[in-house]
Amino acid sequence: MIELRDFTFTYNGAVKPALQDVNLAIEGGEFVLITGPSGGGKSTLCRCFNGLVPHFYGGTVGGKAEVQGMDILRTPPKELAMKVGMVFQDPENQLVTSDVEREIAFGLENLGFPVNLIARRVEEALDTVNIAGLRFRRHHELSGGEKQKVAIASVLALHPDVLVLDEPTSELDPQSAEEVLRLLERLNDELGITVVLVEHRLDRVVHLVDRIIVMNEGGIRTDGRPREVMKNDGLGPGTPPVIRLMQRLREKGLEFDELPLTVKEARLKLQKALGKVNTTRPADEHAAKDPVMNIDRMWFSYGDRTALRDISMTVNRGEFIAVMGRNASGKTTLVKHFNGLLRPGKGRITLDGVDTSRYSVDELSRWIGYVFQNPNDHLFADTVEEEVAFSLKNRGVAPEEIEKSVERMLQRFKLTEYRKSYPRSLSGGEKQRLALASVLVTGPRIIVLDEPTRGMDFALKQELTGFLTDYCRDGNAVVMVTHDVETVAECADRVVLLSEGRVVVDGSRREALSKALLFSPQVNRLAQALSSYGVADTTLTVDEMLGQIT
Amino acid sequence: MMRELRYRDRDTVIHRLNPVVKLVWGIGLVVLSLLFSHPVYLVALLAVILIMIRLAGIWREWTPVLKLCLWLGVSIIIINALVSYHGDHVLAEAPFTLPVLGQPVITLEAIAYGAVMAVKLTIIISAFTFINLTVHPDDIMSVLLKMKLPYKSVLVTSLSTRFIPCLIDDAQRINDAYRTRGALPSTGNWFSRIKRQAGIIIPLLSSSLDRAIQVAEAMEARAFGTGQNRTYYKNVVLSGFDWLILVCVLLPLVAGILIRVFGYGDYEYFPVLQSIHFEGVPFILLGILLMLLLSVIPLAFIQRRVEFD
Repeated sequence: MIELRDFTFTYNGAVKPALQDVNLAIEGGEFVLITGPSGGGKSTLCRCFNGLVPHFYGGTVGGKAEVQGMDILRTPPKELAMKVGMVFQDPENQLVTSDVEREIAFGLENLGFPVNLIARRVEEALDTVNIAGLRFRRHHELSGGEKQKVAIASVLALHPDVLVLDEPTSELDPQSAEEVLRLLERLNDELGITVVLVEHRLDRVVHLVDRIIVMNEGGIRTDGRPREVMKNDGLGPGTPPVIRLMQRLREKGLEFDELPLTVKEARLKLQKALGKVNTTRPADEHAAKDPVMNIDRMWFSYGDRTALRDISMTVNRGEFIAVMGRNASGKTTLVKHFNGLLRPGKGRITLDGVDTSRYSVDELSRWIGYVFQNPNDHLFADTVEEEVAFSLKNRGVAPEEIEKSVERMLQRFKLTEYRKSYPRSLSGGEKQRLALASVLVTGPRIIVLDEPTRGMDFALKQELTGFLTDYCRDGNAVVMVTHDVETVAECADRVVLLSEGRVVVDGSRREALSKALLFSPQVNRLAQALSSYGVADTTLTVDEMLGQIT
Repeated sequence: MMRELRYRDRDTVIHRLNPVVKLVWGIGLVVLSLLFSHPVYLVALLAVILIMIRLAGIWREWTPVLKLCLWLGVSIIIINALVSYHGDHVLAEAPFTLPVLGQPVITLEAIAYGAVMAVKLTIIISAFTFINLTVHPDDIMSVLLKMKLPYKSVLVTSLSTRFIPCLIDDAQRINDAYRTRGALPSTGNWFSRIKRQAGIIIPLLSSSLDRAIQVAEAMEARAFGTGQNRTYYKNVVLSGFDWLILVCVLLPLVAGILIRVFGYGDYEYFPVLQSIHFEGVPFILLGILLMLLLSVIPLAFIQRRVEFD
């Protein structure tokens, strides 16, 4: 179906090739997962399957690339569009028209299909993706997940043999992501469409795919069936928790025939193999509560829609708080009140006992740092150095003082070598570090982060949470809005769960995440099922679990 | 406000009218308001567009537009009164003279002229708001294509309107980030504040460019611009009855031109306001014009009956 031989591609003006000597053959009907660290060449590889590389993004090409026997270099993108459909990361930016039906018809219209055939294909596509109910909706009336389904339908209408998706779920909440992945499984299963999926959330897909390809530094590092890849630890630290647990147990001498990929498989394996369980209920040390911010009976509404209802909560020094909840449950609205970007309609917020309503955003931001989801939104200056100094300069700090602080931050966030670089030319991880440095430079006591791990690969997530836990240890508080249960299980002290603008749960991560149906990490789902064998049902992480199984 | 001005499907007789009809009617009204300078004619035209807005059920969305028009109107009246020194009825005199312009005076005529300009502007803005809120943007595109405008230009226009709300969101977010970095202190004079505000332009431009590239990529991946004869899935088709209504909405335009040709509907503001002498022929002509303009309403109701049967 797709064949690359010694394929090398260098973007115009780039020093290093984005893809180097890639050899790859994808068979018809396969479900292939491509993963690996950001900047490893995954997106470039995807884009060469449908000719966007090199026809849209110019560059130097070496080697050969064929799709169904057609050389991608010689075939115009028009013909490739009918063979290979492509779905992109951002649901907003791939919808071109303004309603669902027209969107699905767009590609067919471009190819000059007769109107009666378009009508038929639109019907088919709507039914295949199961969005017939949305047909007359306009794009701004759709949720992110629905938009992504429309994008898939609009590509399916062209009857492609291959569907390529570049991180289609990274902008979605977990439930919508799950729905999109289910849809892909069905398309592959029932219609035999070859699916090539780039994805970071491996725990949701490893069991669905036939093959995993790990890319790094422009080349294929690992390529094989999921179980083989896992057996040889091909994913490294990015391996889903349950599989990591089973790998470790096998190292410790527990015998089982093949490596399980899902919670269910692991459960069945462990039920048979589980010997002695040493039930030590994992416990967290409880630091003395030392409140820094207090929110008292706060209400807020946007026009006539009430977004927050009677919220009371406290933020303590040295505490890592995760704010979780469905989309539109009020998470972002809540944290925007912390530094005055929004003001309570009713109720009061105090910082060290002082009412914050007296202070402007500018004044509050000295004590409360705010990191937005997209690090690009933080970049205003011409060099990395100036970017870090920006907040201090705005506040009229003395030059010598600024220089010292900037130096400290550059070192701490490993940015010294880029000090003269243009911030926007940095890689994703470097930008995230710069955004953090530029916010932390003023030494805020609370730092608020809005979905910082969205679309991040595992290594970047680890780096970020590492910085944040260090920051907490210095007696500061971290408040992180997130959907990412696994990250919360690893590092948060407390979880505040919102629903319809109310606090539904406010407690330790163990109370909030264990014994929950939806918001529980993989390892806990396993532990709950094995509780009759003596495993503590409050177990959250791989290490805690390993401590109990001997 | 931008969000409220987005088209939404509604089930009113006006929304059911053919998009071509609404476009022609709305643009016709704009042309008429430019043709006439007689205050009675203009006030009558304003009344007509208000009736249509009411019938289309978009009154609530239109009120912020009215506010904007009032602001603009008041500023037009003030500016016109301050810079136009024609007219004989002097209400106030400045105690000094300006080079070139002479002695500044405020005249009744200049104020009246400004007021009528404000009414004209309100009619024009309201007419476009009416089109914007009652015609599906993709239908506007189809109509423009039917008029043989090049596809790519029409698509670019519709794409840019589609991404305006995204741009507003981006600007809001970047501005928030900028504020949290202490870049927009609540102190300082207005000039330095405007200068500081300009700092969000680069990040905003750069996020728009990223967006543009992503959109282009998504279009390319769905065979856009392949040079083949493009087909159109949804076309605006005119039924027999639509043609009838279309002729009816063209009539007021013809009538208006004739009225002007015969020298009615004009009005002298300077040097002295002409008396609003309004009976006999001009009165009858205005009546006919209004009837023709509003004839679209009964026709729309009849059309709905016909469709239901």
